Amino acid sequence: MAQLIADRRDIDFVLHEQLNVGELSKHEKFAEFNKKTIDLTISEARNLSIKEILPTRQLGDQEGCRFEGGKVTVPECFHKVWDLFLEGEWLAMPEDPDWGGQGMPRTVSMAAGDYFNGANYAFMMYPGLTHGAAKLVEEFGTPKQKEMFLKNMFTGKWTGTMLLTEPEAGSDVGALNATAVKNDDGTYSISGSKIFISSGEHDLAENIIHPVLARIEGAPAGTKGISLFLVPKIWVNEDGSLAGSNDVVCTGIEEKMGIHANSTCSLTLGGKGQCRGLLLGEENKGMRAMFLMMNEARLLVGMQGLSCASASYLNAVNYARERVQGRNLLQMMDPSTPPVPIIQHPDVRRMLLTMKSYVEGMRSLLYYVGFLGDQIQISDDETEKVRLQGLIDLLIPVCKGYVTDKALEVCSHGIQVYGGYGYIKEYPQEQLLRDCRITMIYEGTNGIQAMDLLGRKLGMNKGKPILDLMAEIQKTIAEAKQVDHLKEHAAKLEAALNKLAETAMHLGATAMSPKVLAAFAFAHPFLEASGDVLMAWMLMWRAVLAAEKLEQGTKKKDTAFYEGQLSSAQFFNSVMLPITIGKMDSILATHPAAVDITEDAFGGK
Amino acid sequence: MEIVVLLKQVPSTESLVEIAADGVSIKTDDIKWVMNPYDELAVEEALKIRESGEGQVTILTIGPEKAVEAMRTALAMGADKGVRIDPGDLRLDGLGTAKVLAAALKEMPYDLIIAGHRAVDDDNYQAGPAVAELLGIPNISMVIKQDISDGKIQCHRTVEGGTVVIESPLPALITTQRGLNEPRYASLPGIMKAKKKPVDVKPIADLGLDENALAGKTTIAALTPPPERKGGRVLDGDTAQDKVTALVNALRDEAKAI
Repeated sequence: MAQLIADRRDIDFVLHEQLNVGELSKHEKFAEFNKKTIDLTISEARNLSIKEILPTRQLGDQEGCRFEGGKVTVPECFHKVWDLFLEGEWLAMPEDPDWGGQGMPRTVSMAAGDYFNGANYAFMMYPGLTHGAAKLVEEFGTPKQKEMFLKNMFTGKWTGTMLLTEPEAGSDVGALNATAVKNDDGTYSISGSKIFISSGEHDLAENIIHPVLARIEGAPAGTKGISLFLVPKIWVNEDGSLAGSNDVVCTGIEEKMGIHANSTCSLTLGGKGQCRGLLLGEENKGMRAMFLMMNEARLLVGMQGLSCASASYLNAVNYARERVQGRNLLQMMDPSTPPVPIIQHPDVRRMLLTMKSYVEGMRSLLYYVGFLGDQIQISDDETEKVRLQGLIDLLIPVCKGYVTDKALEVCSHGIQVYGGYGYIKEYPQEQLLRDCRITMIYEGTNGIQAMDLLGRKLGMNKGKPILDLMAEIQKTIAEAKQVDHLKEHAAKLEAALNKLAETAMHLGATAMSPKVLAAFAFAHPFLEASGDVLMAWMLMWRAVLAAEKLEQGTKKKDTAFYEGQLSSAQFFNSVMLPITIGKMDSILATHPAAVDITEDAFGGK
Repeated sequence: MEIVVLLKQVPSTESLVEIAADGVSIKTDDIKWVMNPYDELAVEEALKIRESGEGQVTILTIGPEKAVEAMRTALAMGADKGVRIDPGDLRLDGLGTAKVLAAALKEMPYDLIIAGHRAVDDDNYQAGPAVAELLGIPNISMVIKQDISDGKIQCHRTVEGGTVVIESPLPALITTQRGLNEPRYASLPGIMKAKKKPVDVKPIADLGLDENALAGKTTIAALTPPPERKGGRVLDGDTAQDKVTALVNALRDEAKAI
């Protein structure tokens, strides 16, 4: 029977053949996670995802969340899977066992998350945001705060959120107006209105812990005057017991294009003047705290995008194998020949291979970045740690911005392969696209990701991270040049890599010149070109390993998988990369049309 | 309470089964292996009994090294230890399997043995009852509910159109039927603990059985796939009545269903 959500063979390939995550168990920190334990973990995550969580995806979409009298109810079917998810202790896979986590390598937790998110990521946002909020407590909380909140959050007894956005402060977080006034007992009185708060109110848990960005009276303007507070929905006494309501009121939920089953709330804090918060970290250092958590949050959003794309691809390829329609093009003129499965049609194959190569490349890229983090955990070489962190920081905007852009494209192809059936709700494809769409917007829009890459990451540490990254890619190119099937494709990757370096230099220099606006009008194209080259690299890396295995001789099922790796690499490097070269020509020309056009000339008035 | 669960690793029902070139076995290259679903019920029931009192749950299986994977799943669900009998090249039929299991059980403590009522791969329905016979203990099959007290087990067993309540003294062997329980999922901490739980491996030779007596009394002569599903048929008829008449005729004369 066809596989669902994510191809297990592909996940195993990235974990064990590309990244060798089992090797991490040689280090004391991850000693518990040998290959067998990793495999059993992924199998059980898959089992729970397919049998229990996946059936809630469409149901949750249809039922959605309901708002009545200040209360939000989640889809009825979520309660059972929530309990199962908590019973299995899946919420805090990579975290410290002392606080209720499992101490798992991040890479492995991402592979498990591939299934969980692909099964129903609107559901997974409840535990996902809880995990993120708890990480803030772990990182910045006092020992007392950790004791009060951490275990209850990592075990899902209480959930978490993140309160940044206000009506006039979205991408520009520094413009926020929520205020905090210090009380005599050391707590702060909080007041303000927040919008677009995912999982902000619901009936899955007895308490919700809101990390809130607010401005202490008299603090400097902009991001330098923002502090971070923990604001529980129900006030928590010092001994961890629950007191009364903390004046956090849900005033409504949004009707959205997708992720219907996740409540997107408007919250009013301190409407009756009775909302209290605990300062988390130092005064006016709230944005710094946010930034430290941002890499992880953005990587997770990339994973959400990948999961939608992966599920859409597997559905599409299975459908194309079974759906019979039209004759094979070679027998088009002979009315006596029977119709064939649509996977035989060249245009369908083009879409499927496009989807396949993106899904594989994106999976490798995201796991790779998780794996860099795991390596930092076990390294005691400070220089190496700095190098690894530089690679992560550089790659995060691509993992978020590029991956979610392409995930949406994959989901769109996934609809197209189904034809008319892709557009109707009876089939899963249209929901995957709707759910996927928000990943391009939240956690920093993809335009912001592009500006982060160009404006901040390229020049970081005098450009050392980008040089380190290019050195890594060069290693793969050198290996690929030794393989007959890959030689010519590796040369194309090398040319594209060199051109990317040239483009980066050019755009970096333009951004420092009077043409800075034109440069930033090309930030997104540059993000896209960078992502393309990274996809080509990952697929080439995979193909080098696959070619080795094929040479050694493999089982029938593995042979098809490895040959598929060569196909993906050849397709991306020889069919897609020439287009990337064109994109880079456009960036190098940096035509300022988008910044020169007057606002009136946009028309429509 | 010492509980032993008899477990078999079988091809997943989602795997595409193809007959091998020898015509009497299946191709195993592309098969995904899982715990027999009825054995999942057995593991769950054993864990429930243990949780309501004292004792431990031991998983007993016959199979090659990869059979440990199914056993690890049971250990991750919460079973305490495992014993794997390695059959080497010996091909066992239902009775041979039961003889091996019974011989292994004679060396183990048990108050209750739980098995799936059948394995979904060969559908033999034999191993459980035959083991009980060889051990000389009572067997209650197709159990959907059980209750243990005062050294006795009382079971609800499915029968055509209803249930029958049967009681027997312990030790006894029961086999599971759907409806008995809802097997739990392995938890992440359970998975972590599973790899530290002991799994004994015994070659079949160590059981002191006469291998000639074990060799299958039955042999598989041939395997054939089920007939391919034929296309549907639209019944002709001008009126609903004509169509119904055609349908009834087809059901009676052709399909012999009524």
